[in-house]
Amino acid sequence: MKSKILALLGGTLLSASAMAGGYQVNLASQRQIGMGHTGTGIQTGTASIFFNPGALSSIRESGVTIGASAINSRIAYRAIEPTNSSAKADNDLGTPFQVYAAYKIDDLLTVGLGVYTPFGSGVRWGNEWNGRYSLNEIDLQAIFIQPTVSYKLGDKFGVGLGFVIATGSVNLQRVLPVENSERQEGTIELDGGAKTGFGINVGVFYQATDKLTIGLDYRSKVELEVQEGDVTFTNIPASASSNFPSGTEFSAQLPLPATLTLGLGYQVNDKLTLAADVSHVRWSAYESLRFDFSKQIRGSGFSESARNYDDAFIYRLGAEYMVNDKLAVRGGAYYDQSPVQDGYLTPETPDADSRGLSAGVGYSISDNFSLDASFLYINKKERTDQADLSGGVAGTFKSVAYIPGIGLNFKF
Amino acid sequence: MKNFFNKFGLLALAAGMLLSSCDPEIDAANPSSGSLDLTKYVAVGNSLTAGFQDNGLYLEGQISSYPALIAQQFSLAGGGEFVQPLFSEAQRNGSGYVRLTGFSSPTSPILTPVTDNLAVVGKGKDGKTNLLAPYLQPVNNLGVPGIKMADVTTAGYGYDNPLGFNPYYERLLPDSPTPTEALMPYVNYVGATNPTFFTMWLGNNDVLGYATSGGVASMTSASVFQSNLDAMMAALAKPNVEGAVINIPDVTAIPFFTTKSTAQLKQLAAASNAKLYIRLADNTVREAQTTDYVLLTSTVGTPESVPGIGTVPHGFSPLNPLANSEVLDVNEVEAVISRTAEFNAKLATAAQTKNLAYVDMNGYFNSIKGGFALNAVTYSPAFITGNLFSLDGVHLTPRGYAIVANRILREINSKYNASIPFVDETQYRAVLLP
Repeated sequence: MKSKILALLGGTLLSASAMAGGYQVNLASQRQIGMGHTGTGIQTGTASIFFNPGALSSIRESGVTIGASAINSRIAYRAIEPTNSSAKADNDLGTPFQVYAAYKIDDLLTVGLGVYTPFGSGVRWGNEWNGRYSLNEIDLQAIFIQPTVSYKLGDKFGVGLGFVIATGSVNLQRVLPVENSERQEGTIELDGGAKTGFGINVGVFYQATDKLTIGLDYRSKVELEVQEGDVTFTNIPASASSNFPSGTEFSAQLPLPATLTLGLGYQVNDKLTLAADVSHVRWSAYESLRFDFSKQIRGSGFSESARNYDDAFIYRLGAEYMVNDKLAVRGGAYYDQSPVQDGYLTPETPDADSRGLSAGVGYSISDNFSLDASFLYINKKERTDQADLSGGVAGTFKSVAYIPGIGLNFKF
Repeated sequence: MKNFFNKFGLLALAAGMLLSSCDPEIDAANPSSGSLDLTKYVAVGNSLTAGFQDNGLYLEGQISSYPALIAQQFSLAGGGEFVQPLFSEAQRNGSGYVRLTGFSSPTSPILTPVTDNLAVVGKGKDGKTNLLAPYLQPVNNLGVPGIKMADVTTAGYGYDNPLGFNPYYERLLPDSPTPTEALMPYVNYVGATNPTFFTMWLGNNDVLGYATSGGVASMTSASVFQSNLDAMMAALAKPNVEGAVINIPDVTAIPFFTTKSTAQLKQLAAASNAKLYIRLADNTVREAQTTDYVLLTSTVGTPESVPGIGTVPHGFSPLNPLANSEVLDVNEVEAVISRTAEFNAKLATAAQTKNLAYVDMNGYFNSIKGGFALNAVTYSPAFITGNLFSLDGVHLTPRGYAIVANRILREINSKYNASIPFVDETQYRAVLLP
């Protein structure tokens, strides 16, 4: 099933730059972004649909949350010295968003629905830089819809299960090393919508003491699969046209990896909450990027380049301080390991270990209406790679991102 | 007051750091010429140095000649002006060249001569050589297509006379037949330029002429090569002048000799129940072996009528063998490789004696026979599809010249502790396809 409406939604709302490890986008709640994107070991309100469905049953009121972030990401590139070519990725503004609705059926049972965008990538290098034969631009979008039930087992224990329905799309453009007599280089564009993929998000939440809470959450892998995607060639010289047949379609599969997170929360006093998360992302599921073609392109029915991602850990710390009844201030930091091994760096995901610093405020306008605002700064380590194992582009990459976000909460 | 400025300075510094941290920056080392004086770079050599490609010398090839690219990179590290004997825009097609206009079969390209906008201004006194538009101002690119090491001391090599001459050298010289003008030997012309830095890639034609004629033309003797090399070194490598000597690639590494693969031709012949035959220098005919090299220009396989047996593909019958001039047979291949090695040993010794950079282009081209990848493009010495070699199968494409320029810069950087940036080869074209 290919949902037309969702595809349209994706076109207008989604264009997420990959600003976490790999192509994961960890921007699931404005309050939690402010706290270093912790949230598995604490009660986060409706956002527990994402962070830990086990904690959802301990919310006090039903509610709806909507929010969005604006990713301003910038990537610099410089070729391996002494080549002095450089480039800057001129990325579109990415706008990952989240909508959560939770309804408390009784003291024990809560149901919810989340719509969020945990994966994506948007990088635009242009068609002049020296890596254009590897990538001009990529736009990868994934949207998850997650109906959820959460149940309280006694006073201290909560379990929850969400069923993930995923869809998305991919668009990838690169220059081909063929040039026609008008001095135009050929290009290839792959564009396709994903079939619906499925997964789960399951979590447990435990109130260990009055102050200490513990949560464990597992979000399963989801395969994003494109079938009958369009392959479009332009500026192909006539003599080479049989190598690049028009009407070619492609299929591809991209794993959106499983993530296991252990979280702790500590209520220091009435005003101060601390949170810490450790996530293990099973990136090793991403072994290669393979496109299968319906017609032979340059004598081959597929193109495949190795990725061989490694599993990676993310470490997060966050704090929230209630200045008064209405105003909360938040801060956090995290360290996100890159899953990309040496030799495998690519311009589509010029990834490196990244450091995130965040700040946020929350303000209750009335008893049932509140606002959250967040700001996240991500700084990835400068990384030099020969890219000789991935068919990528050798060079040094450095990325930073500035991500403001805003969210609205309504309780009833 | 001083304190105020200190504080103000710190504040400005902090603000500056904050602002500059908005955009990611990657620091790079500043280009440096190391111990080199790059005020006047002169390039000495043959067609490769001139920017010859697609079987001709024309403006686009001149502009992307490897010395022009090296000079462009030198200019980032204090290099001086670099003048080339460029053809004018109106005469941009120079000597004429060939263009790829189609394929008569998937493996047979159609090469069409370009005959408009030439720089041909008449016929020489030998009645056959085309005279080219003169360029008499001093130049830095002294590449003369066709020149051999054996020619550098020859008086009158560039003088228009009935016995023949080199038109590419002729166009650089004044007309009066005096020893300092039209009769000037190339070595004197080179010596008069007084460079601070030079590259010399000379000697290819001393073996290539033999190889591309299938062993019919002669090779330069080792003794002539040595004495002329000594003369060139004396003219160029004067005290305080630095340079790079580039050696001669093997003929078996270039598509002119490898495209019409003997192994494949033998299979083709076997498929039609025939064998491939070649005629040797001594006029005997034998079956071809895989260690013989059929030249790119050979008409092998073209249907020809042979008296007594009818129409057969050329070469597929002992009565219609490939001519001696179409094949570099195994003995000739061995002769040319061993002579190349001998010349390269002399070039290496000369470079060492004068303490110059030495670029092992022979080793480089042998190392890339199996192909390589750079910036997500694959390259190989394959004809047309390999992206390195132009349509004559001997000379390089602009992209190929850029890659060669980087090989040379690499050795210069290492020898002279310099940091000259490399060329971005992707900004230069490979073969244009129709």
